[in-house]
Amino acid sequence: MSGQPFRLASGGLIDRAQALDFSFDGKSYRGFAGDTLASALLANGVRLVGRSFKYHRPRGVLSAGPEEPNALVELRSGARREPNTRATVVELFDGLEAASQNRWPSLAFDLLSLNGLLSPALVAGFYYKTFMWPAAFWEKLYEPLIRRAAGLGRAAGLEDPDHYDKAFAFCDMLVIGGGPTGLAAALAAGRSGARVILCDEDFRLGGRLLAEKREIDGKPAAEWLAAALAELESLPEVRIMPRTTIFGLYDHGIYGAVERVGDHLPEPAPRQPRQRGWRIYAKRAILAAGALERPVVFPGNDTPGVMLAGAVRTYVNRYGVLPGRETVLFTAGDDGWATARDIAAAGGKVAAIVDARSDADPVRKGLADKLGARLFVGGVIEGASGGRQLAGVTIRDASGATSSVTCDLLAVSNGWNPTLHLTSHQNGKPVWDDDLHCFVPGTLPAGLSVAGSAAGRFTLAQALEDGARLGREAVAEAGLTPAGAEPVPATDPETAALQPVWRVKGAKGKAFVDYQNDVTDKDVELAAREGFRPVEHLKRYTTLGMATDQGKTSNLAGLAIMAEQTGKTIPQTGSTTFRPPYTPVAIGALAGHHRGKDFRLTRLAPTHGWSKEQGAVFIESGPWLRAQYYPKPGESDWLTTVNREVLAVRSGVGICDVSTLGKIDIQGADAAEFLERVYTNGWKALPVGKARYGLMLREDGFVMDDGTTSGLGESHFLMTTTTANAGKVMQHLEFCHQVLWPEFDVRMVSVSEQWAQASIAGPKARETLRGVLDPEHDISNEAFPYLAARAVTVGGGIPARLFRISFSGELAYELAVPAGYGDAMMRALMRAGAPFGITPYGIEALGVMRVEKGHVAGNELNGQTTARDLGLGKMMSSKKDYIGRLMAQRAALAEKDRPSFVGFKPVDPAQRLRAGAHFIGIGQAAAMENDEGYMTSVAYSPHLKHWMGLGLIKGGAARIGERVRAYDPVRNGDIVVEICSPVFVDPEGARLHG
Amino acid sequence: MAETAISWAPRSAWAGIAQAGSFGASGEAGVTATLLDGFGLATLIAGPHATAALSRLVEVKLGLALPRAPKIVSGATHDAIWVGPEQWLLRAASRDGFQPLLAELAPHAAVSDQSDARAALRLSGRRVRDMLAKGVMLDLHPAAFAVGDAAATIIAYIGVQLGRLPDGPDGAVFEIMLPRSMAGSFWSWFAASAAEFGCAVSVA
Amino acid sequence: MRITCPHCGARDAQEFTYLGAADPQRPDGMAATEAAMFDYVYLRENPAGPHRELWYHGAGCHAWLVVTRDTRTHAISAVEPAKNRKAGAAA
Repeated sequence: MSGQPFRLASGGLIDRAQALDFSFDGKSYRGFAGDTLASALLANGVRLVGRSFKYHRPRGVLSAGPEEPNALVELRSGARREPNTRATVVELFDGLEAASQNRWPSLAFDLLSLNGLLSPALVAGFYYKTFMWPAAFWEKLYEPLIRRAAGLGRAAGLEDPDHYDKAFAFCDMLVIGGGPTGLAAALAAGRSGARVILCDEDFRLGGRLLAEKREIDGKPAAEWLAAALAELESLPEVRIMPRTTIFGLYDHGIYGAVERVGDHLPEPAPRQPRQRGWRIYAKRAILAAGALERPVVFPGNDTPGVMLAGAVRTYVNRYGVLPGRETVLFTAGDDGWATARDIAAAGGKVAAIVDARSDADPVRKGLADKLGARLFVGGVIEGASGGRQLAGVTIRDASGATSSVTCDLLAVSNGWNPTLHLTSHQNGKPVWDDDLHCFVPGTLPAGLSVAGSAAGRFTLAQALEDGARLGREAVAEAGLTPAGAEPVPATDPETAALQPVWRVKGAKGKAFVDYQNDVTDKDVELAAREGFRPVEHLKRYTTLGMATDQGKTSNLAGLAIMAEQTGKTIPQTGSTTFRPPYTPVAIGALAGHHRGKDFRLTRLAPTHGWSKEQGAVFIESGPWLRAQYYPKPGESDWLTTVNREVLAVRSGVGICDVSTLGKIDIQGADAAEFLERVYTNGWKALPVGKARYGLMLREDGFVMDDGTTSGLGESHFLMTTTTANAGKVMQHLEFCHQVLWPEFDVRMVSVSEQWAQASIAGPKARETLRGVLDPEHDISNEAFPYLAARAVTVGGGIPARLFRISFSGELAYELAVPAGYGDAMMRALMRAGAPFGITPYGIEALGVMRVEKGHVAGNELNGQTTARDLGLGKMMSSKKDYIGRLMAQRAALAEKDRPSFVGFKPVDPAQRLRAGAHFIGIGQAAAMENDEGYMTSVAYSPHLKHWMGLGLIKGGAARIGERVRAYDPVRNGDIVVEICSPVFVDPEGARLHG
Repeated sequence: MAETAISWAPRSAWAGIAQAGSFGASGEAGVTATLLDGFGLATLIAGPHATAALSRLVEVKLGLALPRAPKIVSGATHDAIWVGPEQWLLRAASRDGFQPLLAELAPHAAVSDQSDARAALRLSGRRVRDMLAKGVMLDLHPAAFAVGDAAATIIAYIGVQLGRLPDGPDGAVFEIMLPRSMAGSFWSWFAASAAEFGCAVSVA
Repeated sequence: MRITCPHCGARDAQEFTYLGAADPQRPDGMAATEAAMFDYVYLRENPAGPHRELWYHGAGCHAWLVVTRDTRTHAISAVEPAKNRKAGAAA
């Protein structure tokens, strides 16, 4: 345990009474509550925190915020291990474990840093050029090698043990950023009674006020900050959300946010989510996200110890850490000087100040003298030495002479870029500001205004003024009355003069533009030479601006160098269109509760509990869990069970849940006419008390769905749909009514959930049913013939509906009772059918029986088949108009050799058929041009004792008796099958009408 | 006969899914859930030009006015919930006499019994809005969703009917009706969402 | 996106299903020609700008709506029930 040698004796917003132990690469350290991992590492003198992406160069902490390109670590261990977390925003907690990435075998001694020696081969576009030949080497050799050498952290590879939430919030005004601008805006809006949400990605609100020594109203800014926060907390309609990043701006005032509820804890508190993904609906929003400081491109600018000057101030003032013993400041403007001042105030030594501006300002000279620092006016840094730890810099002065200065910290100040990412999420283009030397927000998305540094208004005075003014404006635009304006508090004076340095051409060494992707100035030059000049090409060719930081510190320098190469200005060269997310977002936060078994919803039939009791094996059928089959003890495979169920139905009686079918109650004077228009067949003559099979097309002439519809009254019908299409058909019917024929009196509503429905099938179905229906109902063949459909009662007056319809080809009924009685119905049927050996059967047996009967189902109603293809051409009425009529008549859809519906049986009855097998003429090659169609459904018929298939083949029924190959290379099947009628069992339908 | 009567007992939509008790954080429950059962429910869709007649009849029979906007209007024994243009859900506290009532309304409206089609529950408690915010994409601020407001919307991919009832002793009271087949998935979401606040469950 | 349903108020786009252009009219009846039906089924304008299109509020009031949306910005300038439009046009 070390003693935090770089921690200042006092100061900073850390709680020195609360020591936190943590480890980095297995070594133990101590920090304090209020630290980030980066500040704690720096306090302990840990400079080397990672290896770079391509060249495996040693890297240290560059920034103190979300833009960090270097200090990416693996956080935690086991299933919670998270790669690529930025140490600069990881809140320290007791027991934190972190590990460096992209090094092997260790961070200090990394074999792959030899990549640096190979660097001539690893320049921009290297993988497009180098690894093209021989082709076979790519997969086997080059790609694995590159994947090992280049990369970021390792994913845990285990299921995430934590819970994530998703949540929705609404407000009049969303304030993005809790610095002085955002606080001023939230105060102005909150005082007006507006519903305000104030988000900040940091765990502590205050923004740059936490990092700077500033005064507001003549007092330390901390006092103003404390008062502002206290007032905001007192306002009931203001919600303050720290640790919350607004990562995306979407249409119509929708903002995506992620709240890190438990990331600052070793593991989330009990019953708390790790993170919460928010969708925030805001009438207005103010972007007060501040600005990100820019590095300078010079040789060796990636040496650990080179740090952004603003970040140095953050470490000194906020965390009480002096990141170096001897500092050199390299600045292009006034802002950097504050770093020298604050380091000196904290007792640090400033060895030299290199101000790139050529004007010799006496005030600055005086300050340098006071600090005891050598001043280089008009100088630049042209090299850094030290490798794993900065040891010194080479300064080139205005005269061109160079001198070496020993230092272990180089603070770099090159101006700031507004954090305007969100303004660009809807394709808004940032615009270049010549005076500010940065891009500022261009056309803004509706409902968003930008304030303070995010708008390029970098001074504290501007921040406070913008926040108050735009806060009040937003309140008015949200439809509220702003409270009276309060005077904007005065601040201590500041200047923001700047003459940025985009790069320094040095003697030797790599000068990095994009640290995270190891893109150097030479790479950008190469891209320019090779013609990849548009900014989008530059990005793809060099990878500049990719990966987790998305170029937050690199995009502008890349543009500037490209501009220099092509003789254009920066705005002529291009700008960056930022897309969501602003910073990386865990997939878990987007999924929330919906993963694993909750990935999508599960629907359970009202008979589910009963089926479970019966030992059913369930299968997903769309959202439904349906009973697939009901194995009995001793049945070792599913086919044995299914065969038993099928034979039981065909010889006695079976019951099967069919509650999942869609059921639509259709009423109104024009209901029959409506059915005429949506079904291909006729409906006007359907008597009350009768069911009829109906076929529905899409308007393009292909089959959409089928099912039975029953006449319950003069103008009252009950339509059933397939399970899969229930929702789609309802939407289609609503479309037909509301959009096509609103003049119709037709009223419909889904009653799918109201009814539990069972199929009772088999020669003993009638006897079984007699034991369940109330005795007054006559269901003899005469009184209740095939396709009868009537209201009945069960259990002494419980309303029920009985339909004599059959999918199995047996004497069969469907009985429907209110869903709450579904369980009771199954039990009553089991009791009544016990003397006949009643057998529950699942959808597998149902499927076997429908194949035996040659009924089409989902596999055949696949959206590519017409009624004619399915042998249902006769159902297309020629006497009326209906949806799909005209398009179904198109010549190409009536061609004889369209694949159409027939049955198939193996010539050798011992052979198994496979769905998906393609038909090929005997003696012909198994090639695309000889493909004649495919097998849609297969089943083993325990009745016929061989496999049977249904399928679509060119020529269809005209070829019955012909033999073809059923070719299934995936499962090594190639057998001869005979084309036959699709009806395998009881073609006369004697059983049905019995 | 006795055996038959027992065997035809209805099963609650919540059976096997949720039961009385408590779960989640200990201490005072932030969310209170009351599982509802045994109510009568029907869809009414007024015929062409029949809304006025239907409204009058409902007013006379039940003493409540059919709402013309997304609202829930409560009478002594029944509630009427607007669910779409010219379309309502009529709910009876008890199923006694519900079928005869529906028969009386039938001449003016397409009536479809939905008594068994929905699982329903009532939610209240200090943290009820925080809990609902995890699934409801609507602004439930007291000023935005007042007593008597209703909405057909989605929670956790489940189509629901949401309404705000008169406040109770622990503040705002919301009611949710959802498709019966989805009760298990709904409860999975609810249990995960309410756990951090602590939840007391009772059966009405 | 959010769509303000004329019946239900502002709702998240998740509650709606998109269909496409609202203006093509189905050639109704036995007299309709295959060519006219082909146009209705397949041919669509693809404007960069205001576009009248059908959305179904399936998770709300089940109304089919005609939404006028600028395809460049997603700005929605009008929403009306499809049923009213046809009834109005017929009158």
